[in-house]
Amino acid sequence: MVPQGALRRRPRSSPSLTLRLCVPVLLCILGVTGYAQRGAEDLEGRQADPRAVAGGKIVALVFVRTDCPISNRYAPTIQRLSAQYADKAQFWLVFPDKDETPASIKKYLRDYGYKLPALRDPRHALVKLSLAHVTPEVAVFSAGGQLTYHGRIDNWYESFGHARPAPTTHDLDDALRATLVGKAVAQNDVRGVGCYISDLE
Amino acid sequence: MILRLRILAWPLAVLAGLAMAATLSGRQVAGPASSAQPAPQISPVTFNRDIAPIIYHSCASCHRPGEAGPFSLLTYSDVKKHARQIAEVTQARTMPPWLPEPQELKFADEMRLPDAQIALIQKWVEQGAVEGNPADLAPLPKFTEGWRLGEPDLILKVEKPLVLPPQGTDTYWNFIFHVPIEKTSWVKAVEIRPGDKRYVHHANILVDREGLTRRRESEPGAGFGGMEIRIESEVFDPDSHLLFWKPGTVPYVEPEGMALRLDKGTDLVLNTHLQPSGKPEIIQPSIGLYFTPHPATKLPMLLQLENDVKLDIPPGQKNFVVTDEFTLPVSVALLAIYPHAHYLGKDIQAFATLPDGTRRTLIHIPGWNLNWQAVYRYEEPVSLPQGTVVSLRYVYDNSEENALNPNHPPARVRGGNRSSDEMCHLWLQVLPVDYDIARGDPRMVLQEALARHNVGKNPGDFEAHYNLAAMLQARGKLDDALGEYTAALRLRPDDATANNGMGAALLAAEQPDKATPYLLAALKSRPDYFDAHYNLGYALISQNDFEGAAMQFRLALQVHPEDAKAEANLGSALAEMGRFAEAKTHLERALQIDPSLSWARDNLEELNHRRN
Repeated sequence: MVPQGALRRRPRSSPSLTLRLCVPVLLCILGVTGYAQRGAEDLEGRQADPRAVAGGKIVALVFVRTDCPISNRYAPTIQRLSAQYADKAQFWLVFPDKDETPASIKKYLRDYGYKLPALRDPRHALVKLSLAHVTPEVAVFSAGGQLTYHGRIDNWYESFGHARPAPTTHDLDDALRATLVGKAVAQNDVRGVGCYISDLE
Repeated sequence: MILRLRILAWPLAVLAGLAMAATLSGRQVAGPASSAQPAPQISPVTFNRDIAPIIYHSCASCHRPGEAGPFSLLTYSDVKKHARQIAEVTQARTMPPWLPEPQELKFADEMRLPDAQIALIQKWVEQGAVEGNPADLAPLPKFTEGWRLGEPDLILKVEKPLVLPPQGTDTYWNFIFHVPIEKTSWVKAVEIRPGDKRYVHHANILVDREGLTRRRESEPGAGFGGMEIRIESEVFDPDSHLLFWKPGTVPYVEPEGMALRLDKGTDLVLNTHLQPSGKPEIIQPSIGLYFTPHPATKLPMLLQLENDVKLDIPPGQKNFVVTDEFTLPVSVALLAIYPHAHYLGKDIQAFATLPDGTRRTLIHIPGWNLNWQAVYRYEEPVSLPQGTVVSLRYVYDNSEENALNPNHPPARVRGGNRSSDEMCHLWLQVLPVDYDIARGDPRMVLQEALARHNVGKNPGDFEAHYNLAAMLQARGKLDDALGEYTAALRLRPDDATANNGMGAALLAAEQPDKATPYLLAALKSRPDYFDAHYNLGYALISQNDFEGAAMQFRLALQVHPEDAKAEANLGSALAEMGRFAEAKTHLERALQIDPSLSWARDNLEELNHRRN
């Protein structure tokens, strides 16, 4: 396991962004009920704890917004990876926009053919625990509840408006594989390109 | 009789403006009060007072329901939810999408944000994206819904929509629209509604007068894939316009005299660049046509500079430079410019060196991005006197650093039609001015000079040899034309168009016996080739094979049943065979279709005279 202090922060190029420098260690070591009480809800409005139903699997939280074209374009990739790891990793879609209603999210799941459970995170409890910055980004937690990776799915997008024909890195896939065998994720914090979650605060 | 000439050119389509502000229903949106200077420290930048005017003017026409923007930017809440993103994309000048650098020659409908506005947005976000006083908020502009130019005279809609798959690389798809008109009509404006605007990056209309593209459909109405398509066109077709759509484009009414001709049987081909969205999308474009009773009187032309033969870019090469220079043989007014490269294009420049040595930048795009390619119209026509040298300089990046590189790892890339190939093209829409008509149609002078230029650059350029031949033939230089057709056929021996051109030139040179084998070769490659049937009919008449000739004219009429000249020639051939009754029917029908066909009338009178 990577000690949390070793999480690498990338220098950020845009001066307009506020830099969160320190990683609070405690937040990243999740208790079994640690984050459910902080306000994530399922689509029926019930408090939800992604870990509770993980059944010993590792957990991947995928942050998306219905109006973010970049996270939308990732839907097939997210579906494919979740299906590929179905036996070993429990994927959740997490919607951090408090204005996105359960009904609009259900419609969105149907439109994009998602077969994943979804959570609303109106108070950004999961966002904070996962150190998520943009949609789409992913947080991977070991079966023991430790955050082993957070950041982009891959490098498909170089920047806004600049997408590669196909990604040449597979950060989430690598992180899942490493986490499953208890190995440290080589690059455990790679900032994604997408829609800023902080704009929703 | 008319021998038909054809020009091969990269297909092109018409000038549509990129006006965004034009949708704002006449109400001039004032720049933010503080646009020249960042807001003073004491008073925070607010949405209502400072930011909303920028957003309404430069973003909201696309970022509203039903338009190209993926989310709306109409209210404080909308904008706040994307505030940092807006700060970042405006700072990087990714949005609003406007690639050219500022320059002395202004483009119409420029969408570039002033630096001060970008700074103001930065400041607003840094200060916490404050809403401000509701009293400061100007009302939302009134946007035109539906067809921007009002209800079109004719709406063409794709019958079979395309289902865009949820994932994969970008798709290039061509939709074919049949234009249901009974007679030649003139179009003053074309409005392209590309389907769901959020997933269509750009679209170009090409005019297909011969139904050639339909052969590429797997079934009628299905459309066909492909990024760059070529359509053989008549001389200077489609009347030298660029019909282009990209997000933000507002349709444009051509000035009087610049109408676009559509004939019965014409197809319009909409070449689209589509981007998968993550879910299946239904793409069903439509085209609105606005007619004018006034035929075209001006003679614009699309000059296509290119240097694809120089494109052989080694992997890893970061700065591969391609240039071309063309000297204008006539004075022109430059109306619009359309640069085109694919994913390796990096820095694109065109400039004009006037005879007095003045150098004027025509366009400079330092960060080329195919996804945002556009036709740029000049605010005022640019005067380029005879002798002006038009130069292009394109730089390509085939290294790993170019994220858009289609190859990973980078591979050798050459010129070609596929999106993974590269291109070096520059179209100029020009209007010849101050020309001496005694030197011939100035467009033909330009076309001939350009073809000569291209042949000189690349002796393997089939189109250049063919176009040069056609121009030489048109001005009666038959020997030279035959030489160029021969050169073209050496490159593509089976090409239907070149064989037909060769046959037509031999007919003009009064060598019908020599023409016949070329025309037969053209028909072997393309059995339903109207021109070749027509010309072969003419060749056979000249050799007194009236029966053979009549058959060819009948075959031609199967392709174009309403062609008066083919009908009249069929009548004439039948008359020569003594089949007067049939001949009369066909000559009369020819005159019904085109009463101005005087030689058909003469033939009919002669026929009546002989019968009596």
